[in-house]
Amino acid sequence: MQAETTGRWQAMRRGFVATMIVWPGVAPFGMVYAVSALAAGLSFAETLGMSLIVFAGASQFTAVGLFAAGANPISIIAATAIINARHLLLAASTASYIRQSPGWLRAVVAFQLTDETYAVGVQQFEKTGGDAWFQFGANLSLYFIWALSTVIGSLLGALIPDPAGLGLDLIFPLTFIAFLMPMVRDRVNRSVALLAAGISVAAALWLPGSWYVLLAGLIGSAFGAWFAVLTPMQAPKEQP
Amino acid sequence: MSIWLTYVGMAAVTYAARAIPLLVMRNNPPPWLALWLRYVPAAVFTALVVPALVTTSGAAGRVLSLGPAVLAGIIGALVAWRTSNAILTVVCGMVSFWVIRMVMGG
Repeated sequence: MQAETTGRWQAMRRGFVATMIVWPGVAPFGMVYAVSALAAGLSFAETLGMSLIVFAGASQFTAVGLFAAGANPISIIAATAIINARHLLLAASTASYIRQSPGWLRAVVAFQLTDETYAVGVQQFEKTGGDAWFQFGANLSLYFIWALSTVIGSLLGALIPDPAGLGLDLIFPLTFIAFLMPMVRDRVNRSVALLAAGISVAAALWLPGSWYVLLAGLIGSAFGAWFAVLTPMQAPKEQP
Repeated sequence: MSIWLTYVGMAAVTYAARAIPLLVMRNNPPPWLALWLRYVPAAVFTALVVPALVTTSGAAGRVLSLGPAVLAGIIGALVAWRTSNAILTVVCGMVSFWVIRMVMGG
């Protein structure tokens, strides 16, 4: 029992530390979110409250825009549901690694699953197998930096030059490039990435919200599975 | 008060998307689903990267925008391909973005 508790704690700590790699990519967005929320008329408590309760970057930005436009709560909640529908795919993918964990733990992990912690978790699980405690630590790490950057943005907002003007919003895609490139070493994954690139750009231009992530994720991965069946020699190694 | 109730509604729909697959998928997924899910990471990461590099959001919605970010992304991809180092990728990508923008007079 003692050893088990220690193992959980260490897995959580490893997840927390591993997620620090995405902090520089996330913090500018948290700060910009806070500045735009205050500018839209939200109080400091309401600005931080949304980061703590909702904890979903893209939908928080959208909600700020809708609050500023005086939209009604139902339309804000509906927009949030549409933007965050992509989490269905992230959660299904994560579930395939940690489904042996107890239900309550998976329910806890679900609260803070994001694009970033999904990426950190999958990278780890591909090497060592699934670990819900690692994922929980990763989630807490991102929750912490998101809340902290919201506070810093609220306090220093007026002093910081426009982060988008500096190009700091580029840190996020660059971080994900670093996650993606080691993954596309085999032909199937390369084809998946090429197809997903085309679909996501087309869908980003013509569909609202972040449907493009869900659409490209579903079609790209389905194509990969089909392609892997056609060319079994190219299929990557089995999961442990 | 209604702003906090809105938050609760936003959190509920977000939590549903994050929790339902995690709570429902308890048994071994059928082989076709396991194979499908194996290629989700590459597809999702690509979808998070490429539109962020080649489009910008404006008042009129998202539009194609091929600028310094595209070149910086390509340089970052080459660095990531050779080194698999996330910090080096971000540093090289950002520095080349600033240099390219300066050269182009942006």
